[in-house]
This record gives sequence, structure tokens and C-alpha cells, in this order.
Amino acid sequence: MKLKYSLFSRREFLNGLLGGSLLAFFATLIGPVVQFIFPPYKEPDEVKLPAADYGGLQPHEAKGFAWGAKPGILKKAGDGSLVAFVAVCSHLDCNVAYLPNDRKFYCACHQGWYDENGKNIAGPPPSPLRRLAVSVEGDSLVIKKQG
Amino acid sequence: MKKIRAWIYDRLGVAELSKFGMKKEVPLHSHTIWYYTGSSILLFMGIQVVTGVMLAFYYNPTIKDANASVARIMTEIPLGWIIRSIHSWSATFMIAIVIIHLLSIAFTKAYRAPREATWMTGVLLMIASLAFGFTGYLLPWDDLSLAATKVGTDIPKSIPVVGAWVTSLLRGGEDVTGDTISRFFIVHVCVLPLAIFAILGVHLFLVQRHGMSVPLKAGHRPEKNDFLPFWPNFILRESGVWLVLFGVLLTTAIVLAPSLGPAADLMAPAPAGIKPEWYFLFMFQTLKLFPSRILGLNGELAAVAVMTVGFLLVFLLPLLDNRPAERKGRTITYAVYAAFLYTIALTVWSLL
Repeated sequence: MKLKYSLFSRREFLNGLLGGSLLAFFATLIGPVVQFIFPPYKEPDEVKLPAADYGGLQPHEAKGFAWGAKPGILKKAGDGSLVAFVAVCSHLDCNVAYLPNDRKFYCACHQGWYDENGKNIAGPPPSPLRRLAVSVEGDSLVIKKQG
Repeated sequence: MKKIRAWIYDRLGVAELSKFGMKKEVPLHSHTIWYYTGSSILLFMGIQVVTGVMLAFYYNPTIKDANASVARIMTEIPLGWIIRSIHSWSATFMIAIVIIHLLSIAFTKAYRAPREATWMTGVLLMIASLAFGFTGYLLPWDDLSLAATKVGTDIPKSIPVVGAWVTSLLRGGEDVTGDTISRFFIVHVCVLPLAIFAILGVHLFLVQRHGMSVPLKAGHRPEKNDFLPFWPNFILRESGVWLVLFGVLLTTAIVLAPSLGPAADLMAPAPAGIKPEWYFLFMFQTLKLFPSRILGLNGELAAVAVMTVGFLLVFLLPLLDNRPAERKGRTITYAVYAAFLYTIALTVWSLL
């Protein structure tokens, strides 16, 4: 039966069908490619450090450790307790340094400053340094994600 | 011999090519000098391809060996230091001339109809050139290049929704690691070259299709036959320019060879005085200027938004400046001057 009116000619319909299927075919390839491009990443749940390596820390002194692929800083506070930070600037991800004489953290990339509690006090950093929880288990210091 | 020559000429269509070269004319007027900038870019691009392939013979794109392999190129491979120096300086020269080329076209308004698409492909070529510079900067894997790449790849993170995704795509993960080196390397030596050659093909085709643009007030007199044949006259002068540029490049590369810092340490604090390549300095300084919060917005996001809009305006310039000879056109010329002065001023400021 021939329709009197049609939105498409037969050729347009077939072109659309063929083109659409091709498009759909290529679209299915995008997902796997995108999956491949992003490697799996998992932040460590905890890091264990030998307590002996950090036993000699004086108040307001700090020592680094590896928090996955990021640097961490373990610091002895004035009251003798241990605090840990992810030593990465909250501005643009540069690694920060702890300056024991100033009792401040400093990011050299864009002159960002944090006080000894990791609070952003000057320069472009929008938020404090990320803190990690520290606990002692036998001979080890255990650094964990906070909260 | 004659027969072989005739066969090659026939099969390759050499006759048509030389006819095209002799027919193609370059307008002669007070701004003819800018026509040389385009081909000068090609010279440096060619040098980049040759020296880049040479460097890749010895370079290892891994976290363990990247810095050491560049050190080996610099100290053990015969003339390696000069090849690396040429590659590094030629990148600088190429981007400098890309910018001059772009400015000459902006100021003479050569982007006006029908050459809008030529301009747009040109802007894409410039972005590809900058991407070459950015990816190449990481490859020596010293402390400066690590810090610069951390900052550069972190900038998109402030964009809502897709930002973190883009950063992770660029870095190959949450952080800059060994995966970032291999990613930057393959983009630098394979993805970007394919892209730049494809866009360049379109760009050159459009240049041929529309012919050379003559500025509105250049004092060009077509009726007096104010033209230079492309072949051999223009090519001859061009060769002179190339020879001089090559000499300057070689001299600079020998006198001012780039250094190589100690291998990057993912755990070390950023070194003092990090600076990106000179062509990113104005963006670097803009980022520094924005406070951490501005009008309740994240300052970084505001800076990124401003720079994105800036790039979009440059890309769309021919469509915005659709009446170049009128008042609107003059206003846009002032805006281009202002943007140019801003870039220069911020670049100089960041060097102080």
C-alpha cells in the first residue's frame, strides 16, 4: 500500500536507519575506551609507620611520610600530641613544606601560608590542609583518613 | 633519464604543481612582511619534528628513567645537549612566531570574510602548539616541571561537574605520577602531531582557497600589478628569512642551553620560584591575582572562567568583528590592543 503523505522519502528513511545504526555502533565503543583511559585509584585507608622512626620528634618538629602518591607530614604539636596532614596545597595541588622556625606550612608555587594547625592564613589557598588521624598501635603509628 | 623524469613528472603531477606555484601571487604592499611569519612557523615545526624524533631515540618516558635519560642525552650522547637545546629553543621560537602571526592578522583584520574559518583553524593550531609546550615541559621530569604540571593539570579541577574528571584524564589518575609521564609523552609525540597536521592541512587549504588577504589600508594597487610571483621570487626571499632564523636559533641554542634540575620527587615540597614557560606567564599571574573567594565564588573558578571567555572571544573574533570598516570594527581594534597590552603587562609583572 502506498501512503498518500509521508514525512520521509524511502531514501531518507533508509539513510537515517543506516546512519543511525552506524552512530549507535560507534557510541557503544566510547564507554570501554573511556573506562580504559581512567586508571583505578584508591586512596590508602591507612598507612602504618614504625613508631621508632618518629620517636625523636621535638614539639613543633615535623617529618614526612608517603600517603599513597601524595606526601604527608607528621608533626608533634606543642602539647606533645601527634598530628598528620596531607601536605598538598588546597589551592593548586603543589606540595607544601613545613617551616619549623616559623611554625607554618608554606606553598612555594603561589606563596600560600598555613598556620601550624593547617589553617589557611595568607595567600590564595581557599581551605585548610587536609588532616589525617594518628593513633599508636604497639610499635606502629597508624595514620588513617579522618572521619 | 629524460624518460624517467617525464614519467615521474606525469605520475606525480609536478607540472600542475609548478604551474600553481607560478600562478600564485603574493600581494606587495606596506604589510607584506607579515606574510613571512606563516612559513617561518613551518620552519620551526619541521625542526621540532626532526629533533623530536632524535630525542625520542634515547628518551625513556618512565618515572624511574625519564630524568636520567635526559641527563644521558645531555652528557653522553654526541651533540645531545645541542639537539635538546635546539628542540627547547625552537619550541620557544615557534610559539613566539605563532603569536606574532596571530597578532599581525588581528591588527590587519585579515580574518574578515571570507577568511573566518582560516582564523579559527589558526587559533586551534595555536592551542595545539601551546599543548605541545605544556606536555613537553613535564618530560625532563625535574622538580620544576613536576610542580608546573601539578598546577597546570589542577586548574581544570575548579570547573563544576566535569573538572575533577578532566584533571584525572590529564594526569591519568588522582595525582601526577609515572602514568602522567607516559600519557604526556604519547600525547606529545603522537596525538598532538596527528592533530596539528590535520588542522594545518585544513588551514593551508583555506589559505590557498581564499588567497592572501590584503589589509584595508595597505596601499595595494592591483591595477599596477603589485604582485610578487610565489615561485620563484617569494620562495627565494622566504629562504633568506629561514636562513637567518635558523642561524639565530642555532646561536641561541648553543649559547643558552637549558639546564636539567634534579629528578622530580613526588614527596618533596615544591621548589621556590616555580614559573611556567614564558607563554603561560600571563595566565600564571592572572591566577595569582584572584583572591581565594570572589563575590562568593571560588577565586580559581572565576579566574578559569575569565580565561575561558577570553579564549572563546579570540576564537570567535571574525564573527564578532563582522563590520571591520565601521565604528564597531574600530572599537574591536582597541579591545585587541587592550588585550595585547594586558598580556604583555602581566607577563612583565610576573618576571619582576
